[in-house]
Amino acid sequence: MNITNLKLREMRDLLDKKSISAIELTQEYLNRINKFDDKIQSYITVTEDLAMDSAKKAQEKIDNGNTNPLCGIPISIKDNICTNGIKTTCASKSLENFIPPYNATVVDKLDSQNAVMLGKTNLDEFAIGATTQSSVFAKTKNPFDLSKVPGGSSGGSAASVSASLCAASIASDTGGSLRQPAALCGVTGLKPTYGRVSRHGLVAIASSMDQIGAIAKDAHDCAFILNTIAGFDCNDATSSKAEVIDFTSKIGESIKGLKIAIPKEFYDSNIGINSEVKNSVLAAAEKYKKMGAELVECCLPSLKYAVATYLILSSAEAASNLSRIDGIKYGHRSTRGENFNELIINSRTEGFGDEVKRRILLGNFVLSIEQYDDYYKKALALRQRFITEYADIFEKCDVILTPTTLSTAARTDENISTPFKTYLDNICTVSSDIASLPAISTTCGYDSNGMPIGMSIIGKKFDEATIVQVADAFEKSFNAVSPELI
Amino acid sequence: MKNAKLFNTLNKIAIFYKSEVLKLDLKMISHLSNLSKLSFTDNELEKLSSDMSSIIEIVDIIKEVDIVYNPLSDNKNVNINDLREDVAKESMATEKILMNAINSDNCFVVPKVVE
Repeated sequence: MNITNLKLREMRDLLDKKSISAIELTQEYLNRINKFDDKIQSYITVTEDLAMDSAKKAQEKIDNGNTNPLCGIPISIKDNICTNGIKTTCASKSLENFIPPYNATVVDKLDSQNAVMLGKTNLDEFAIGATTQSSVFAKTKNPFDLSKVPGGSSGGSAASVSASLCAASIASDTGGSLRQPAALCGVTGLKPTYGRVSRHGLVAIASSMDQIGAIAKDAHDCAFILNTIAGFDCNDATSSKAEVIDFTSKIGESIKGLKIAIPKEFYDSNIGINSEVKNSVLAAAEKYKKMGAELVECCLPSLKYAVATYLILSSAEAASNLSRIDGIKYGHRSTRGENFNELIINSRTEGFGDEVKRRILLGNFVLSIEQYDDYYKKALALRQRFITEYADIFEKCDVILTPTTLSTAARTDENISTPFKTYLDNICTVSSDIASLPAISTTCGYDSNGMPIGMSIIGKKFDEATIVQVADAFEKSFNAVSPELI
Repeated sequence: MKNAKLFNTLNKIAIFYKSEVLKLDLKMISHLSNLSKLSFTDNELEKLSSDMSSIIEIVDIIKEVDIVYNPLSDNKNVNINDLREDVAKESMATEKILMNAINSDNCFVVPKVVE
């Protein structure tokens, strides 16, 4: 038995029974990282010494009878989440040597349970992108096929879970950044409701949509982690005071009578959905029907405007958020620049990559006085329309089932000449971010090349427990495959 | 002969319009670069002009929607929940705040701004 193939909660049992120590478990993962991550390149920084120290402390806690859910569990953290004293680069030259002087709230929460951080995972620069190829440090590969992308922006997190280089990963989602790579790497990604998890210490891109969540081997593990990281935080005024329930509480309950909405627009060939993906998700829907759920056909008429709305809102917010990076307080500081303005311009120009620059330009374009009404205000109005259309569906249904992506993972050499074409590929995920809804992606099949296909279950606001229940019901009857690493 | 002359005239108009559009786009991109505190070479600006046009083409789809933003009913997505009590708390130590910057006498260092 390879222990790293186990689910997080199975490791918990072994740790509690003293069948394995936190030190042995951590060492096992570090060995795998040393052996395989040269090929996969899922980590930017591996915190080996720190991990072993944390494992020793965790083991002491376990020996003293402490069985906090994540005590001694080795996890990875996306490198846009601040870790006190440990580099947090956002995969950008502009933050190449940035060492945060504080922890993100989620990191404090993990530390308080003595979770073991193995390292910081790769991402698209500033979490802007869907391939993890725009990182300046590494181009992460898909563990199922090293010639293919892992998705993004949390490609490092998803690949590290998929390749069993950690038990789970903490990642972020703004337009699908957590669910899309989870789908393409054959693992499960849970994006909670906006506000469910504190964003304090998450390097902000689009503050009205950014949300931290978990990627793990299954829905149960994701919920297990959410139990630890959820909750109000006085350092994030947009975090919610909604009651933090046990998100695993509905697991195992029958889904008989549950109403699953199937919005036809997500399955329309006009949006460019691959037939294998469509058939696989619809087959999963039929499986739910056999379990006693009721499938309800419905509409999300504004879906075709989702990518445009998302691009406008997220770029406007990104342009504003990234204006704080000036090379003076922190981050890359140019050696050129005769005056204040030149120093800032040169620092930013040298520090940011092409895609980040394009989004900043787009953001400032839609916010400029001549364009503001036509683009930004209209996108704000459309956001309200999405909220209303989703609310209409949820009046009649409990959850919504959609594909997570239009197709399976692309080759690493695709899309390089026309990166903006990939924007349209996010159509299946962005609308739930626009409407602040929780969503979970889990594997529902494999294409003819053996690449994973993901489906998403979208829930009502703060109803993560139900989407976890629904995802888990499918996973229990599905034979998920792990990638073979050589 | 007449056709050749007409062709030449049309061609000149086409080139004129093409350069006008490109010139306008470059002007806009330069303006946005200034707003964004970014600088680009002429070659980069040309490429950006083409890239940004493709991106604008994607977002332009929302122009077909007949919808007007209403600040009272829209934009309720982000709820500001609870602001902290207005109580002074100990802030982060100066050396921590300056640990990623050039630190001179516990101050950030910038080029000379006053002559």
